Amino acid sequence: MTETTNQAASAAAEQVLAPVRRQARSDLAARGEPYVWIMGAALVFGLMMITGFLAFVFYFGAVTFWPQPIAVVETTDGKVIAGEAFRTETYKPSPEILQPKSTAVREQIAGNLGITERTLYRVGNYDLFGEDFVWVADFDLKVKTYPKDIYLIERMEWGPFIGRIKEIDLGGKKIANPSLAQLQAAHAAAELRRDVIDKVEKIEITDINREIERLRLTVKRAIIDYGANSPETKSIEADVAAKSAKLEAGYKVLGEKVSALRQTNEAFTVTLEAVNGQSKTQPLSLLVRFYPANNLDTAQKWSIYGARWLEFVSTQPREANTEGGILPAIVGTLTMMVLLSLAVAPFGVITALYLREYAKQGVFVSFIRICVNNLAGVPSIVYGVFGLGFFCYIVGGTVDQLFFPEVLPAPTFGTGGMLWASLTLALLTVPVVIVATEEALAAVPRSMREGSLACGASKWQTIARIVLPRAAPGIMTGLILAMARGAGEVAPLMIVGVVKLAPELPIDAVAPFVHLERSFMHLGFHIYDVGFQSRNSEAGRPMVFVTTLVLIGLVLILNAFAIYIRNRLKRAYKVGEF
Amino acid sequence: MSHELEGSPAAKRPASVVYQREKKTKASVLFTDAFAQYGITIGGMLVIIAVFTIMIFLIYVCLPLLNAGETTGTKSYKIETSAAQFVETQIDEQQTIFADLETDGHIKAFHLGTGTPLEVPSYDLSGLTASAFAATLRGDDILFGFPDGSVRAGRFELRSQVMASEGVPTDLRKLDARDSTDGKAVYSKIPGQFRKTSIEISLEPATQIAPVGTAILKADYRVGGTAERPLKTFVTLDAAGKLRLSQAYSEINMMTGEAATQLTTAEIPLQVPAADVVKLLLNTQGDRVLVTLRDGTIYRYNTRNFANPQLAETVKVISNGVELSAASYQNGENSIIVGGSDGSVAIWFGVDRQSKDTTDGIVLTKVHAEFEKQKAAITDIRVSQRTRMFTTSDRAGNVWVRHGTTERTLLTLPGSPDPTGLQATVFAPKDDGVLAIGKNGNVILWGIRVPHPETTLQSVFGKVWYEGYTEPVYVWQSTSGTDASEPKLSLIPLIFGTFKAAIYSLMLAIPIALMAAIYTSEFMKPSTRAVVKPVMELMATLPSVVVGFVAALVLSPIVESWIAAIVIAFGVIPLALITMSFLWQLLPTPIANLLDGLPKLLAFFATILGAVWVSRELGPLVETTFFDGDFKKWTSGAGSAQPFLFLLLIPASFVLVLVLTRPIYSAAYRLNLRELPKFMAAARELFGWFVILALSLGTAWGLSMLLGQLGLDARGGLVDTYVQRNALVAAFAIAFAEIPIIYTISEDALNAVPSYLRSGSLACGASKWQTTSRIVLPTAASGIFSAIMIGLGRAVGETMIVVMATGNTPLLDINIFNGLRTLSANINVELPEAVRDSTLYRTLFLCALVLFFMTFVINTIAELVRQRYRKRAAQL
Repeated sequence: MTETTNQAASAAAEQVLAPVRRQARSDLAARGEPYVWIMGAALVFGLMMITGFLAFVFYFGAVTFWPQPIAVVETTDGKVIAGEAFRTETYKPSPEILQPKSTAVREQIAGNLGITERTLYRVGNYDLFGEDFVWVADFDLKVKTYPKDIYLIERMEWGPFIGRIKEIDLGGKKIANPSLAQLQAAHAAAELRRDVIDKVEKIEITDINREIERLRLTVKRAIIDYGANSPETKSIEADVAAKSAKLEAGYKVLGEKVSALRQTNEAFTVTLEAVNGQSKTQPLSLLVRFYPANNLDTAQKWSIYGARWLEFVSTQPREANTEGGILPAIVGTLTMMVLLSLAVAPFGVITALYLREYAKQGVFVSFIRICVNNLAGVPSIVYGVFGLGFFCYIVGGTVDQLFFPEVLPAPTFGTGGMLWASLTLALLTVPVVIVATEEALAAVPRSMREGSLACGASKWQTIARIVLPRAAPGIMTGLILAMARGAGEVAPLMIVGVVKLAPELPIDAVAPFVHLERSFMHLGFHIYDVGFQSRNSEAGRPMVFVTTLVLIGLVLILNAFAIYIRNRLKRAYKVGEF
Repeated sequence: MSHELEGSPAAKRPASVVYQREKKTKASVLFTDAFAQYGITIGGMLVIIAVFTIMIFLIYVCLPLLNAGETTGTKSYKIETSAAQFVETQIDEQQTIFADLETDGHIKAFHLGTGTPLEVPSYDLSGLTASAFAATLRGDDILFGFPDGSVRAGRFELRSQVMASEGVPTDLRKLDARDSTDGKAVYSKIPGQFRKTSIEISLEPATQIAPVGTAILKADYRVGGTAERPLKTFVTLDAAGKLRLSQAYSEINMMTGEAATQLTTAEIPLQVPAADVVKLLLNTQGDRVLVTLRDGTIYRYNTRNFANPQLAETVKVISNGVELSAASYQNGENSIIVGGSDGSVAIWFGVDRQSKDTTDGIVLTKVHAEFEKQKAAITDIRVSQRTRMFTTSDRAGNVWVRHGTTERTLLTLPGSPDPTGLQATVFAPKDDGVLAIGKNGNVILWGIRVPHPETTLQSVFGKVWYEGYTEPVYVWQSTSGTDASEPKLSLIPLIFGTFKAAIYSLMLAIPIALMAAIYTSEFMKPSTRAVVKPVMELMATLPSVVVGFVAALVLSPIVESWIAAIVIAFGVIPLALITMSFLWQLLPTPIANLLDGLPKLLAFFATILGAVWVSRELGPLVETTFFDGDFKKWTSGAGSAQPFLFLLLIPASFVLVLVLTRPIYSAAYRLNLRELPKFMAAARELFGWFVILALSLGTAWGLSMLLGQLGLDARGGLVDTYVQRNALVAAFAIAFAEIPIIYTISEDALNAVPSYLRSGSLACGASKWQTTSRIVLPTAASGIFSAIMIGLGRAVGETMIVVMATGNTPLLDINIFNGLRTLSANINVELPEAVRDSTLYRTLFLCALVLFFMTFVINTIAELVRQRYRKRAAQL
């Protein structure tokens, strides 16, 4: 376009010099505007995919725990249901469904190409109705109200109850239509007893059981070590018998204590009534949380929201993982990530040091580099297969035979577990760390090494004091990326040790504190399991969204941290270069 | 340190000795250095070796699959023989004893390890000698036929019973390390306990089948039904040539414990002399009777209608001049193994061909014939009770172990108890031994180990003709309900599924990722780029389980209800964008330049949203007008084929129209265009676009009418019956994982093109688009290629998304609306259930190995291309 200014000036000369002079207008075809649009749109599409995806997951993860109002819906055929509106979708009702409807309804739907909307209500009360969810089509809806006395009651079993609270029975003292405060007081007392039962059962009785099992294994071990009829074995057997008897006595006492508490709890009941008139009486101690869903102010809503999150991250799952918390999955994932980085860091760094600083550069080393790069692209499931065959069966099987013969044929290390899962993922991520470390090492200017060597430092001194500190942020980046990858991988873990439900955490207060042989739960697998393997995937779906939010949060934080370090590193180098 | 000294001549050195620092490094430094050197070298090498171990280990686990098997040892001894013929020989599961039943009802039992005879009960046949005998394939239900025309059924069972050490009699005679005997039963020591193996027999009263005095010459016997209500079926042939099918239905009275039996018999007309019949074969359901004749003819009777048996077909299963010398059902009672007097072996089974030649449409077909011939006539065929293995023994006393489906000779057992022929051969119930008894009383017990008889390279990668199929097929079906059906482990459907998922997803991912990369690298300000690129890379960090979950539980129902809208969106979005781009050209240059950047991105965004909205609104309309009101029903075959052909043909006819109108878009036209003011030129271009669009839509419509008339239909190929979790949904989800990878690597490649190339091109007057398409893209081509290869590698190995978003159905079907199963998903689904070292376990390792090699090759190509590219880029 700048040529236009010259146009007039050289107009005369043109006549002589060039009979056909190029016009200095912009050539639309050359600009390729349609191509630019398609390319730009592809980018926007990509950005929409990622942001849309994240927004979707964050939104659904964030709203899941927010207390929803409960609608009481009366349908045209006289049914009454109460529930939280779960989602709304458009659909095409089949002719059989529309057949009995009025002509007005049919005409209206036909006018809309046969499409209408329906809403899924989460009605709860699985023990009474046998279903958690009910679809109500728009044309079936007669009246929708939000009465203030409807409660949502979360329970230990059977999922939530939606209905009214008729009566509480405090060990014979009956209160009809109790106030919220009365209910809360009674519930708090019942909960206290439940906690005591839990503590006795889950800690004290478990301790005794574990001790008895340990004693039994001591005898088996003695038989293996000394022979069945040797004096050593006999004395150990006698000793164990005495100790076991004592433990059994303690067990009995605790058992009686628990059953007494249980009986008390059975006597404190609550009678709940669903909107269709069915009622159910059950112990107060089975309630987890209850609130009048349509009668909450914002502060109360926030407190319920917070309490639900707290429960989610700090308790064990219930009801086939579709309710309760994900504490074991969080602990399992974090423990695995720590073990993974402990395994991967030294090996990755040593290999990179070898390749970059010690090995003679040549065909062999570039061949190895290709292989390492290649291994980063090998599907994770292949590592899982290797982990199962090699770590669990061969290495683990050998370890069992050498160190745990008394437990056989039940495997200790000879099956999937925390250690093997971490090692498998370490193997999977070692190429990532090698590549990152190599790049970090290569980025340390040659001049610095030469300077150090010229000052008389030995090779190792140079590496340890000059190169590694400068490369450390790069190595850290690689390590964090490896951990993030480890947190997100599921496929290989399903083969080498992740399970649906592992109430025993891999880290606890029982010596040796870290239990490498235990199976564990993992956030990613939890998503798969609840979303795909549970009785009612619809009921588990809110749980999946929240777990997804936690997992994505974890991965994104790790990645953001890595990017932050990388950027800081870039800046540091800019200053450092001459 | 003094540096001046270093270069100075040696002669001068003594003079400055005083100032020179002692040239000695501390021992600790030297030690650390050496330690680090060796430590790191060894450590590095170890890690590299460890990484290569993966491949070696996978191969190591897979190799036994190809192993035919081995004999683990032989035992031989001699037992006492008698004149009576052995009719049935059995071994128990633990290989403790074997028992021979003779025609006179006498049972001889021996300890299998040593040949020590045991005292066991015998059948009391009231002095008669059986003229016919039949047993089920397991051998524990037996039937005697007598010369007087009666039959007696019974049980002949080797029973194992685990008991505590206290229950074992004290006066036992030691047989070998494991076993002792009290003369009647064998007691085997197992860890902590004993196992008693003994023989239990029972015999029912005689039933008169043939007229009194007409001998029963041949019989076969099966027991079906449940344990409480057994249904005993037997077929008998008497001396008069009468064939009878009988069914005894017993019901045990719950109150009294007595069995009430009802017997019904139907006569089957037979035209051949009884002496020619080699064997009668009956199946457990009792709906098929086969009569095999010496000349190789088989009469197949369909006895589904019990009262009225029908001769379904007559087949000759052996060539002329050869006698049929042995026949048996294969495990599962569908295939018949026939052995000829020339040592040949073949397998036949009924294939449902809807044939008119037979009364039930099923045709007995020679399916497996490529068996190695034995030197002498086949005299006996014994089948395994768990797999498709069987043994064939010949007249010279040789015993071979073969596998039916793979036609493989697994073992030719060494040695022979008697070169003149065998009295009996037995296949041990756990497939771990073969026992042969010679006519002279010599016995050989071969221990065999054939862990993977069903696997060959052919069975894994080739077509195999399985029972119940009309032709050889590729099929993966690892779990079989019963022992009688065999696992089918072809990797081809899985490899196909792998590529199906990869290719469909790449078809979505490559255009989006590449174009996005080009736009980012060439048309974007560096400041915007610094934001956009990390955001796109964020996509790569999302765990695939999350993507898979959203795809399967959220996306797939949406796709299902909006499928018509989605199908047309593929056309509407690009068309909307191109139209908008022509409209954009109408903007005066200064304004367009001003809006370049974020506003333009927003315009793209708005256009896409608008197009999506239009598609969503149009979807139901299109569905009603073109797809018979319901797209999913349409895919299953309802409605006309033409509208979809029209949609498919739009891109092709667009190209066609472009090519045809090229003469109009000549240089002259473009020069002419330059003459016009910008707005006019842009308007003309816009008009031209509408003309081209209309022309191509018209051409597509016309062509689709034409092809539709010719009977062409996309259904049955690319599109077919709609399944909720399908390749389309999976492709969307996998594309999600691929896009950031392809995007990042190709963006890097484009970015690495030296900027002076761009500057040069722009300085010569080329537009940005011309520079991009003619200078930058060709230079970066190899980098982009390697990006695509790495994307392919990722797609091939993607696991969780595929497990969740596809139906995991191992099909050979390119239909985009059907499910698939990839190698990785297959491993993930099946490995947790596979028993260690079983065939399935090793086959899954083979899947992993195949996957490993596929990605290794793909990644190596990518890496080599990338290295070449780097070198080239460095030279530029």
